[in-house]
Amino acid sequence: MKEVAAESRTEITLTVNGVAHTVQVSPRRLLADVLRDDIGLKGTNLGCEHGYCGACTVLVDGETVRSCLTLAVAVDGADITTVEGLSGSDELNDLQRAFQEAHALQCGFCTPGFLITATELLDSTEGPLTEQQIREAIAGNICRCTGYVHIVEAIRRVSEARAG
Amino acid sequence: MTTFHEPRFVGARVARVEDPRFLTGQGRYVSNQVVAGMRHARFVRSPFAHARIVSVDTSAVPSGVAVFTGEDWASYAIECTSRYEGFQSAAMPVLAVGKVRYVGEPVAMVVADDPYEAEDAAELILIDYDPLEPVTSIEQALSEGAPLIHEHWTSNLYVPRAYTSPDYDEKVREATRTVSGRFVNSRHSGVPMEGRAVLAEVVDGEIVVRTATQIPHLIRTAIANALGISENSVRVISPDVGGGFGVKAQAYPEEVACALAARSLGAPVKWIEDRREHFLASHHSRQHVHDATLHFDDEGRIRALTAAVYVDMGAYSVFPWTSTMDTGMAMGILPGPYRFTGYKVNGFPTCTNKTPYGAYRGVSRPAACFTIERLVDWMARDRGIDRLEARRRNLVRKDDYPWTNAGGLVYDGGSLEESIDVMREWIGYDDLVQRLAEERRRGRLVGLGMAIFTEQSAHTTEEFKKRGVPIVFGYETATLRLDSTGNLTIATSIHNHGQGLETTLAQFAGEVLGIPLERIKVVFGDTNQVAYGAGTFASRSAVLAGGAARLAATDLREKLARVAAHLLEVSEADLVFHEEGVSVVGSPESTISMAELCRIIYQRPDLLPEGVTPTLEATRTYDAPPGTGTYTNAFHVGTVEVDEHTGVVNITGYWVVEDCGVMINPLVVEGQIHGGVAQGIGSALFEEMVYDEDGQLLTTTFMDYLLPTALDVPHIATRHLETPSPNTIGGIKGMGEGGAIAPAAVIAGAVEDALSEIGPVWISEVPLTPERVLRYIRQAKENR
Ligand code: FES
Ligand code: FES
Repeated sequence: MKEVAAESRTEITLTVNGVAHTVQVSPRRLLADVLRDDIGLKGTNLGCEHGYCGACTVLVDGETVRSCLTLAVAVDGADITTVEGLSGSDELNDLQRAFQEAHALQCGFCTPGFLITATELLDSTEGPLTEQQIREAIAGNICRCTGYVHIVEAIRRVSEARAG
Repeated sequence: MTTFHEPRFVGARVARVEDPRFLTGQGRYVSNQVVAGMRHARFVRSPFAHARIVSVDTSAVPSGVAVFTGEDWASYAIECTSRYEGFQSAAMPVLAVGKVRYVGEPVAMVVADDPYEAEDAAELILIDYDPLEPVTSIEQALSEGAPLIHEHWTSNLYVPRAYTSPDYDEKVREATRTVSGRFVNSRHSGVPMEGRAVLAEVVDGEIVVRTATQIPHLIRTAIANALGISENSVRVISPDVGGGFGVKAQAYPEEVACALAARSLGAPVKWIEDRREHFLASHHSRQHVHDATLHFDDEGRIRALTAAVYVDMGAYSVFPWTSTMDTGMAMGILPGPYRFTGYKVNGFPTCTNKTPYGAYRGVSRPAACFTIERLVDWMARDRGIDRLEARRRNLVRKDDYPWTNAGGLVYDGGSLEESIDVMREWIGYDDLVQRLAEERRRGRLVGLGMAIFTEQSAHTTEEFKKRGVPIVFGYETATLRLDSTGNLTIATSIHNHGQGLETTLAQFAGEVLGIPLERIKVVFGDTNQVAYGAGTFASRSAVLAGGAARLAATDLREKLARVAAHLLEVSEADLVFHEEGVSVVGSPESTISMAELCRIIYQRPDLLPEGVTPTLEATRTYDAPPGTGTYTNAFHVGTVEVDEHTGVVNITGYWVVEDCGVMINPLVVEGQIHGGVAQGIGSALFEEMVYDEDGQLLTTTFMDYLLPTALDVPHIATRHLETPSPNTIGGIKGMGEGGAIAPAAVIAGAVEDALSEIGPVWISEVPLTPERVLRYIRQAKENR
């Protein structure tokens, strides 16, 4: 029997939801696994691990990134937002509240990814958004439960409210 | 002071109470659970569809990594044998022994300290196979001299099924015309966003298996049976589940393997399925071929239906359904919502070298709806009558109920004709059809399709007895407990994985006691905390668990009323239950809060009336007699535009008129319809497990197996009719599956309509991928 060689590890620092974390990681370790298993933030779900479903989407320096396709060492020093960081306190933020009120989630597994994608959309595009704009923006996230109707509705409501 | 009234929670469009934990990343999915000393499993899977295992060499696996092979666990299996006479049984091994029967079948298992290491170690196992001829289609499986997948069998047919109505010959003679076709639905499946996940450990001699399942108690039964141990030494916990759709309504070898490994290693073992494994080894569904003929008269009145139902059931019989479920269900529901009686049907659940076949939202009904609705469209074409009119002429009518359909199912009530009338008016059907015809004449490939159906839901004892399954799913149970602060806990044997049952059960049962949602907790998914029950599938949970919870709430109410009447010195009949507590009718000042009432019952026995025990707990079961189900009905219409050059189908409109009886929460009902329709659109346009002739699955990523996105699913408009079920508590009906039943028929009809200006074509195969659509366009040109 042969021993598996101990993998070399690198120290990286990530600021996640405003808190700095220093972790030792092997070069092949995925950002998703660092967030979930090393830092212990389990809110980011994995639906495919091949970059297609969008469940694992997080914000890295303000932009959406698929954490299942990102090596943790590649984002050393970055500022990351996960679903746990969307609302500061125990309260839901306006987007999360709209998701609840519009019934935009069922099993909830895709939800963190949609919330992050919608956060980027709402922060980066002037509203109110059209249905088509919303649909295009969320087309990289798959939801198997809702048929998207209520997700589109929730995002539309927030975009209208924010546009005043 | 205001007067109190009994509140009405049923019918309220309230937001779900379970949402905040998902919205803040606190979902309790199995993959999120961590226990001390946890190790990680990886399975080595068969690369061959059909082969003998010559040798398994594990010598390269590093020390410190545990390995298990088929020989280690040869005496354990998941067995599910039908009670049908002549059924050829096919027990599913935990790890393949001697032979593999589908690509993806687990052959060996490694357990390491880290999931990355487990993957590395799995690569080091060398397995030598001797390939056998694979059986990859129904035709091949049933042909003379086909290789036997299970050597002890006499053919590759699990069991033949047949039914002929007594009036069949007579009804066929009454008909003057026929239309026929071979209707093909692809192999595909529910594909929830969360794959399967298991975490097994031994705690104080009890094997605790956390698993993403819809059927916790049945999994406990399957594991205890497989291991030959008592059920009370196994505890199954299914916490939050990221979508089920039937895929997670079967027992899987990986669940048994993790339990065995945890027991043998004395350490917790976790396995998280990856997406490729999900495609290879999570049970598939939907693959039907129907050869069917519709017999009708000159006026377009249906007299009889002849059908042969072939289902490609894959390599093993699945627990708890057996491998006959789809065939049987299709045979029953093929006559659809129509009132003809002549019927002859044969069923062929066939064994092949493919992934085993289990449930998927709608079970057979999408294929059955596709067949009958395509035939009715073709009858309308043959007779030159409008498709909507062709349906209306043949539907079960309001005064026919209860109606026994040609397949023996008893429809309890509905609003079929009304749903057609409402739709016609709502979407301006006649104008719309005309407009589309004009557009077509101007060269645009636009069209409209429709499908109407009844959805059997909440079927219990009578139905499952008939299906020959070893476990007859008859009932569900709920235990309601009030605590001394007046808060209610509902512990129920069903499971919630997106359907909103933590909210709707609370609405339904809370109403009886006047207790609002925020003071109710719904507990599910832990075999140590809830009574034995089958779980969530077959659109049954609201009806059965809801009924049980409402009965138990009524028991609690009686007791509360007795004590309150005693304390307030009035008669029980004069009491009102409401959000603030219990009051005397017309005298709001005589009110006792629920908290005070419960506190007295538990803590002041000295104040209780004679003979009242200090308990506030009630358990009831409910089986929704007569046990043949309650029937939701719906009418779907969709419009499409087809791109002549690329074959891409764009859905431009989709409307649903649905009647699921009394609605507990219309918001949740609409969510279920939307989600079902989106999955049905996947069946209609995209989803297909493609196998090559060697039995290799070619679609194992989301790049090859396409799920509908927000750009593929249009806005889905819904309207409700409410015909209360005469049979169920509260008049509610199940509706979780319905959305998925009609879209394939609707879209196929719409595309056929869109191509009609090019030339006549008969669409009988889904999904309508660009390739298939281009083929139909070519056919239309040839038929011009
Ligand atoms: S898990 Fe990252 S895209 Fe699917
Ligand atoms: S809510 Fe279940 S996948 Fe979107």
